[in-house]
Amino acid sequence: MAPQLSLAGFVWKNLWRRRLRTLLTLCGIGMAIGAFVGLVGFSNAFEHEWLRIYSSSGTDIAVIQQTFLSSSMDESAAAKLKTLKVVADAAPMIYNIMDLTPEVNALAYGWKADSYEFQSLNFLSGRAFHNGQPEIILGELLASDLKKKPGDTLEIQGSTFTVVGVYQGGSALEGGAVILPLDQLQMLGSMPGKVSTIHVRLRPAPAGENPAEYLKRAQAQIEAALPGLRAVPAAERASNNQLVRLAHASAWGTSSIALLIGVLGIANTMAMSVFERTREIGILRALGWKRGQVLALIQLEAVVLGLGGGVLGIVVGWGALHLLAALPQTASIVSASFSLPLFAEALGIAVLAGLLAGALPAWRGAQLSPVEALRHD
Amino acid sequence: MTKPALEVRSLCKSYDQGRIEALRGVDLTIDAGEYIAITGPSGSGKSTLLHMLGGLDSPTSGEVLFKSVPLGSGMDLDTYRSRSVGFIFQAFHLMPTLRAVENVQVPMLGSQPKRADRAGRAVKLLQEMGLEHRMNQYPNELSAGERQRVAIARALANDPEILLADEPTGNLDSENTARILEILTGIQERRGMTLIVITHENEVADSAARRIHIRDGKVQA
Repeated sequence: MAPQLSLAGFVWKNLWRRRLRTLLTLCGIGMAIGAFVGLVGFSNAFEHEWLRIYSSSGTDIAVIQQTFLSSSMDESAAAKLKTLKVVADAAPMIYNIMDLTPEVNALAYGWKADSYEFQSLNFLSGRAFHNGQPEIILGELLASDLKKKPGDTLEIQGSTFTVVGVYQGGSALEGGAVILPLDQLQMLGSMPGKVSTIHVRLRPAPAGENPAEYLKRAQAQIEAALPGLRAVPAAERASNNQLVRLAHASAWGTSSIALLIGVLGIANTMAMSVFERTREIGILRALGWKRGQVLALIQLEAVVLGLGGGVLGIVVGWGALHLLAALPQTASIVSASFSLPLFAEALGIAVLAGLLAGALPAWRGAQLSPVEALRHD
Repeated sequence: MTKPALEVRSLCKSYDQGRIEALRGVDLTIDAGEYIAITGPSGSGKSTLLHMLGGLDSPTSGEVLFKSVPLGSGMDLDTYRSRSVGFIFQAFHLMPTLRAVENVQVPMLGSQPKRADRAGRAVKLLQEMGLEHRMNQYPNELSAGERQRVAIARALANDPEILLADEPTGNLDSENTARILEILTGIQERRGMTLIVITHENEVADSAARRIHIRDGKVQA
């Protein structure tokens, strides 16, 4: 049976004809998409772990300052919250990233000793700390990283703390964190009586009330009772907190630069390809190909490059995520879970990159005069 | 009386802002089914005239009519080229990445939607050219004569009414020249096609029913 030629087959043969260039272009866009998958996957995993902090402790709402300039509020707001009917418990806290040693930085939490947040921790050794004491507890990942166990000491910001317990957290972020008594962290930060957020656990929704409606009602009650503060649902807070937003912004910013370079790579390849094949384009026009067909051929080649690079990039990015998930420095905040939406997004961006990069060369190819193109050497 | 396939009226083509006049008022009528040879020295305007007849370029002034319809204004040049004209080039211009049978399918990609039909027609055309045993070869695996036969099959892919050949034997030895001439005249007679050949070679020009000589952009009497 004779080989049947299709437009897709023609596209493939054109790309295969200059294998090295095609391969290099694929590598370029593949690296860009790989960076996107790796970085955005990393920030998504970070957000997911953040959400697990809330879900594992049963936190429904985070109360924060209403303005973006203020990063702290009065700890006394927690007591007011506890008087509300919808509130089952309130846990004032501080969290921040802190340099523990020149090599190791970690999430540092300040909790009260009676915080309901302790319920999500599983102590592997030792005990919880007491308020007012220079004591800390370490997540198992951090304890392993620092090679610390109960009874050891750790110097934080010039003060010596005794490790009193090692726990397994509800999320990987907690597993890599250090938790101090709230008053101790307030002293370290020179912000006595101040907290950065208050986690709120709501009472169960009354029978017959829609949970979403109940959450909205609780938010309204909290904000009415504490003017100037915002009550943010946990899921929203997980994706909107400064650290997660910073991670997302860094991921998208870096990926965008990589993608721009990838798009320029495809555009360069297609522009060279159109230039080298000027006479061929003239022949195609002489053989009856319309401008639209020439445009479709070149555009399709660019899209195939984008698609191929996208698949390669997903493999690279997926591999990078697995590597990060295995490294002790990043294992606490990266989980290489399979994310179909992320991969679909990466593939969509890769195809779009191909379309964008191929647009100008394809337009130029389609505009060539058949006679001029046939005369081209 | 035979209806004209092509009519050329006061055709002028100039380049470089009018400094180069390739055609200077050419008038010509070519009947359907006619075999014409266009001769003339290099730079006389032969190829420019062929490009105009094939709808590859637009005239500076004057017009070309296909079956009494003016090209460009009355009929889209792309449509004209895809449905009514087949081109054969001196340098064959086959796609190097495609097999012979795939090369023949190239013009049909836009006009014939079914893949199997395209392949079937390509096979028949190559059989007609005596190349059934060479259809899976790439152009660089074919002799010059075989390449030109593939190019003729490709020109016939969309069953055009007019076949335009620009020095079709210019790159061939005498044996292959004779073979190509035999094929072209055979096709023209069997299909009743209009065949217009540009040539420098007397042997080719003599095989045509009518010879038109061009010099300095004008048809010589």
